[in-house]
Amino acid sequence: MIGDAKRGWRDRKHRPVIGQRGLWAAATLVVLLPHAATSFPVDGDQAVLPAGSELNEDALDVPREVLHSEYRGDRTSYLVALGDLAFNSPAILGDVARRANISCGTCHVNGASNAKLFVPGMSTRPGNFDTTGPLFNPKADNHVLDPVRIPSLRGARYLAPYGHDGRMASLRDFVRNVVINEFAGPEPSAAILDAIVAYIQDIDFLPNPKLGARGRLNESASETERRGEALFSKPFPRDPNLSCAGCHLPAGAFVDHLQHDVGSGGLFKTPTLLNANFNAPYFHDGRYDDLGQVVDHFDRVFGLALSAQDRGDLVAYLRAVGDGRQPYDRDSVMVRFKEISTFSLLLAQAIGMRDREAIELAVDTLGGELRDLTERFPDHRNPAVTGALVERRLARAALKDVVISLRRIAIAVTTGDFDAATAEYRTYYDLTFSRAMPLLRGTEPWSLFNPALREAHGAQRRQMLRTPAQAQR
Amino acid sequence: MVNAVETRMSDRNGVVGAHLPHARCRRAAMLGVIVAIALAANAGAAPLEASAEGYRRYLIEDIGQALNGARTLRERLVAADLDGAKRAWIEGRIGWERSEVFTSGFVPELDQQIDAWPNASHGFHGIEVKLFGANRTDVGDETDALIAHLADLHAQIENIPLDPQRLLNGVARLAFEVGGNKADGGESRLSGTSLNDMQSNVDGIELAYRVIFSGAIEASDPRLADAARAAIERIKATVRISDLRSLDAEKLRADSEELVALLQSAAPKIGLSKPTLEEGSQ
Repeated sequence: MIGDAKRGWRDRKHRPVIGQRGLWAAATLVVLLPHAATSFPVDGDQAVLPAGSELNEDALDVPREVLHSEYRGDRTSYLVALGDLAFNSPAILGDVARRANISCGTCHVNGASNAKLFVPGMSTRPGNFDTTGPLFNPKADNHVLDPVRIPSLRGARYLAPYGHDGRMASLRDFVRNVVINEFAGPEPSAAILDAIVAYIQDIDFLPNPKLGARGRLNESASETERRGEALFSKPFPRDPNLSCAGCHLPAGAFVDHLQHDVGSGGLFKTPTLLNANFNAPYFHDGRYDDLGQVVDHFDRVFGLALSAQDRGDLVAYLRAVGDGRQPYDRDSVMVRFKEISTFSLLLAQAIGMRDREAIELAVDTLGGELRDLTERFPDHRNPAVTGALVERRLARAALKDVVISLRRIAIAVTTGDFDAATAEYRTYYDLTFSRAMPLLRGTEPWSLFNPALREAHGAQRRQMLRTPAQAQR
Repeated sequence: MVNAVETRMSDRNGVVGAHLPHARCRRAAMLGVIVAIALAANAGAAPLEASAEGYRRYLIEDIGQALNGARTLRERLVAADLDGAKRAWIEGRIGWERSEVFTSGFVPELDQQIDAWPNASHGFHGIEVKLFGANRTDVGDETDALIAHLADLHAQIENIPLDPQRLLNGVARLAFEVGGNKADGGESRLSGTSLNDMQSNVDGIELAYRVIFSGAIEASDPRLADAARAAIERIKATVRISDLRSLDAEKLRADSEELVALLQSAAPKIGLSKPTLEEGSQ
C-alpha cells in the first residue's frame, strides 16, 4: 500500500532518463520538477526484527575473548583473524540477518554467549533462540517454538559433537549448517568456512585459578568446595553406576562427548562445566537461571536426597569449576581498537596476498564497525550528550575519513590496482591509528563509552522504540 | 551565463513555485529555472558562489514545505484527526529531509531543536514518539515549538550566506549518512517512514549537487563528473524501493562511500578543500 503511493510520488519525479552526459539538462529537468506534497499512507514499523527485540548491543561489559594463539604470546594466524572477521560480519549470513546487522558475533559475543539476547517469537526467555524459527529462514521453520540456549563457544575444540543434541560430529559441518540453513546465508567459500572453524577452535576457556591438573581443585579451594568435589564423584544412591563426574569427566573438560536423558525432555549432550558461571541460562533450552536450580533438578530426577549442606557444597563446587579469570572487558575505545587492529593487520596481509574475498570482507566489516563506533560519539542532534561537541565532531570526522579510505582501498582492488590499494592502506593506517585513535581516546568521557551517558541514551532509546501497546501501558 | 544567473535571481525575488496560485504558472516558473540550469551546465563552470546562491530558492521551498506540514499538523491536532495529523507529519518531513544538506552544518542549534535524535522529547521525533508510537494527539506544545523553529529557520535562510565549501561538506556528509545503518528500522522507525527519509535525503543530495557543483566539476574533470553522476544514479536506484526491509544496505553503503570519495577528489579541482564529513571539525 505504502509502496504504491510512494512509487507514484517518485515516478512523477523520476521519469526515464534516456542517455548519459548529453542529457544532463534533461536529467536536471526531472529533478527540478515541483516538489509534490503527496500524502503517504501511514504505514507501520519497517524494522526487520520484531518490536521488543533486545540484542544487548549496548552492554557495558563484554565477554573477554582469549585466543589460544594470542595466549601463547604469538599473533593470531591469518586464518584465525580471517575467521574472526567473518564471524563478526553480517555479510556471510542471509538477507534478513544482514539487514538486522546480525552476525555470528551477535549471539556469541567475542565467542562466548549472550544471556540477554531476546527476540519475540524466536525466544521464550533472554539467552535462548529458536534456530528453526520463521524469522531468518522460512524454509528451516519447523513451526514449533523450540528455542535453545545460546551456547558459549569457549573451548569448542574439546566439546564435540556439536549442537545441543550432539547431532553433528564435525564443527565444520555444524558451522556450515548455521550459515546456510539457520541464517539463510550463501554457500560460504571453503576458505571462509575453514577460517571460521579455525577461529572457533582457537577460542580458549578463560583460565581458572581454582583448577589444577586433571580438573581437580587446587590448594586454593575452600572446605565447602572440597566437600562438593567429593559429592560430585559419589555414586548416585539409586544407581551406583552413575555419578555427576561419570558424565562430566573432570580430566576431560567436564564432558564425555555423549548424549544422555537427564529428564529434561530428550537426549542432550553433556555440557561442559568450565566457565559455566558465565554461561547462564542452563540446560538445552535455557530453563534454569542458576546452578542451584540445576542441582535441584538432578536431586529431584535422580533421587539424590541431598541435604541442604550437600546442595550448598555442590553449588560451591560447580561455581569453583565454572569460574574464570577476568570474564569481562569493559567496552572502551581501546577494546574496539584492539579488534580494529587485528582486522587491519589482516587487511594489510590480504592486500599483499591479493586475497580479494578477504579484502572485501575486511572493508565491509571494518567499515561497519567504524560506523558503529562513530555513533558512540553522538553529534549535535543527540540531546542526551552535552559537552565537548567540537571534539566529538573531530572524532566523528576522523572515523568517517577512515571509512572512506577503506572504500578507496576496495575501489582500487575492484579495478585490480593493488599498488594503489597498498598506498591507500598506508593512508588508512595513519588515519586510523595516528589520527582517529587519539581523538577518540581524548573524547571518550563525552561518548557513549561513558557508562552514565550510555545508560541515559539506552533508556531513552528503548522508550522511543516501544510499540504503541507498550507505550500506552 | 549572465542570463542564467539573472533568471534564477529574479525567480528567488519573485514567486517561488510552491507559492504560486496556479499549477500552470508554477510550471512556467520551473521551466525557466530548468532552462537556466541547463544553460549554466552547458556554459561550463559557473562561479560556485552564484550556483550556491541559485540553490537558495529550493532551500526556501523545502523548509517552507516542512513548515506547511507542521502547520497542517497543528490544524489536524485541533480537529482531533489522528490520521490527518500523521499524514501532515510525514509530508513535513519530505522538505526537511531534502534540506539536510544545509541544516546539519549551517544551523546545528535549530537542527537539534527540530530534528533531535534518537533521545528526542521535542522536534519531529519527539512528536513521532507520541503520535505514531502511542497514537496520541496531545502534542500541541511540541508542534507549536516545531512551527516556531521552522518559521525561524524559514526566515533566516533568506539571508544566510551560502558558502560553497560548507555546502559541499553538507552534500558529502549527507551522502555518508545515507549509507549508514542507524539502527534496525532506521531513523523514523515508529512512523515507518525511514525509507522516505532516505529517499528525500538522496533527492536533496542530487538537487544540491546538480544545482551547485555539477557544472564546475563537469568543466574541470568530465570523467569525475560522470562517475559522480553514476554514483548518484545508483544510490537513487537502490533507495527506490517500497519497503525498508528490502533495502540492499551493503550496496547503498558502498555507493554512498564511493560518492563521498569522488566528492573528495573533485573538491580541489573546483577550488575547494576536501570536504569534512562533520561540520565544525574543519
